[in-house]
Amino acid sequence: MKLKLSRKRFAFTLPEMSIALAASSVILGATLTSSTSLQKSFNAIDNYYGTHMQQVRIVDYLSRDVKRGLVVTTSADLQTVTITVPNYIIQAGDAEAVINPALVGTPRTPTMVYTPSGWQVNYGNATSTVVYSINGMSILRSENGTVTTIASSTDQLVPLTTDVELSNTEYTKTSITFQPIFTSGGAVASRSGTTVYSTAYLRNKRRG
Amino acid sequence: MRTKDPAEEGNVLICALCTILIISLIGANVLQNCTTRFNVSSSQVRSWKESLFAAEAGGDIAYAEVRKTVLDPTHAFASGWTNSGVQHTSPVTTFGSNGLVTSSVVDLFYYDPATGNPWYRSRSKGTATVSGLPRTGMDDRMGAGTRGDSLLRKIDFRTDHFVATYGPNGDGVAKAIVAVPNPQITRRIEQINAPVTPFEAAIKCTGSFYGLGSAAQIDSYNSKNGAYYFAANNPADPHFSDSRSGSVEIGTPIATVNGMLYGNISTNGGTVRPSPYITGTIDNNVPFTCPPFVMPTNLPPPQPAPTSVTSTTTITPPVAGTAVVPTYYVLSQLSGKLIINAVGAAQTYVAIHVTNDMTAHIDVKPNVHVKIFFDGNMDVKGRDIENETNLAANLQYYAISPASPGTTQFIHIDPPGDFAATFYAPSADVVLHGNPDLIGAMVCKTFYGNGNTSWHYDRALDNEGDAVDYRIVSYVEDIR
Repeated sequence: MKLKLSRKRFAFTLPEMSIALAASSVILGATLTSSTSLQKSFNAIDNYYGTHMQQVRIVDYLSRDVKRGLVVTTSADLQTVTITVPNYIIQAGDAEAVINPALVGTPRTPTMVYTPSGWQVNYGNATSTVVYSINGMSILRSENGTVTTIASSTDQLVPLTTDVELSNTEYTKTSITFQPIFTSGGAVASRSGTTVYSTAYLRNKRRG
Repeated sequence: MRTKDPAEEGNVLICALCTILIISLIGANVLQNCTTRFNVSSSQVRSWKESLFAAEAGGDIAYAEVRKTVLDPTHAFASGWTNSGVQHTSPVTTFGSNGLVTSSVVDLFYYDPATGNPWYRSRSKGTATVSGLPRTGMDDRMGAGTRGDSLLRKIDFRTDHFVATYGPNGDGVAKAIVAVPNPQITRRIEQINAPVTPFEAAIKCTGSFYGLGSAAQIDSYNSKNGAYYFAANNPADPHFSDSRSGSVEIGTPIATVNGMLYGNISTNGGTVRPSPYITGTIDNNVPFTCPPFVMPTNLPPPQPAPTSVTSTTTITPPVAGTAVVPTYYVLSQLSGKLIINAVGAAQTYVAIHVTNDMTAHIDVKPNVHVKIFFDGNMDVKGRDIENETNLAANLQYYAISPASPGTTQFIHIDPPGDFAATFYAPSADVVLHGNPDLIGAMVCKTFYGNGNTSWHYDRALDNEGDAVDYRIVSYVEDIR
């Protein structure tokens, strides 16, 4: 036996449509809201983590240069650090390179000078100057005028560096904070909770 | 009976697949982000730091060998090291739970012309494995046109970038593409090991100290500015800054300090308190040790004669020599007066090894620089130490430590006589009697002096004498 279906049963009634529309609107709204929130949350977490890695990068840059530095000077506002480092590699234009161009790119043999402060080891007659500074939202590192952006962020990555002189050496204390995307009513802890600390000692403390 | 309406056939499967695809894409994107961040924080930063630890460990291994050139010469650069002339290459050392690898190359690259002491340069490299696959890559996301980590952390994912670009020694020689078994980071450092000379203070003793007399004084001057005169009480004097370095360093708490001290004093747990009789700083928490002194092994072959001095004998070396290569004599006995002349007007360098006690009168003429190494004890009067220039650096006594630590060694200097000399005797008990006017420095085990001595430390001595140890004075990293 074959049953015959009535064509009238193919349509929804108005109440059915209304209920379905309302339900789907709620579901769609919830989906959109939650996905947007999840996206924001993910973006904030990723940004937090990515910025934290930039903190680590700044610390690593600074530590590397301070360790091999001869002199470290921090500006009064603690926002600029100037480091004098030895010229370990012979560069084009250096005196040795003028005499023998093949020496370009090779390590330099140091010379020793006895001073009233004791022995001083020099790599060439000149030194290089490395400056860490803040430019807007970026941390810049310049070596003899060549500028490199080592951290770039839209969340105010702010390093504070203090150099402390001891009787026989010197060290720099650095703390870096940033303003995360998610904050709790602008609480101070939102920023201070992101602080990364670092201490690096000069291996070549030079006096006079 | 169940029937199926063709109009109710939907695309459920396609919808489900699309949903899975979208969720998978979202998940993959999240995972990729997380993995990149994780690799940076967990692997790359860790390896970056560990590779420096490894390089510095290699530097420490090299430093230990350099110190052996003074403290234990027969075992320096011996075990596993490859030696070629003045260059020494370490074995490759693997250590630590993460399999860090380090190696060093040490070369003698400089002789101090004043003392003949060698300087060593050590170049060390340390390698740490970066966990993860070579295709992981780095997290360079920072900003438009800027790179992040790859500028700082040079990771060798598949090949060694340093050897390929700069050669294995960084000098552009023998550049080659060398595959690495695993992703890794290698950092390279260079350290300069400088000799430590023995006379950094007027008196340095590792054991007990008693002295000097109540009317004694210890001050300083710098012989490079001329002869000694008293300036320690006159801040307006141009050489006042050199006059208050008559320091005393004591390695135990046992210290009885008398007289006027124009300098600093340190003890190891002592109770020296500030007083008007000590012008410098007082630190009662300074431990130190002085290693036993062994006969240097870098002296040239000895002269055939004399081999013993029992009566007045004059030596005029055949050549002036240098601080690095002095004219060398070995004497089995030195009981007669020994006069040492210069070669013409040349600065003349002489080294004498007395394989017995020192009881003789030494007369060092101008322009002569003498180092006397003796195996036994020393028992002389002040007048037996005749240094005609009054430059303490020109007459240096070195007491070779007894082979057995239990064997005692002494230096007795009695009146009469003033003298100028230095003494390095880390195993000897020193007794100084009388009230001599003395220019020089003393390193000993214990010190006893009860006279009203006027002791003048020569600041030029802080760069004089045979190396007794080494210290690292320079550190650079090859950041390429």
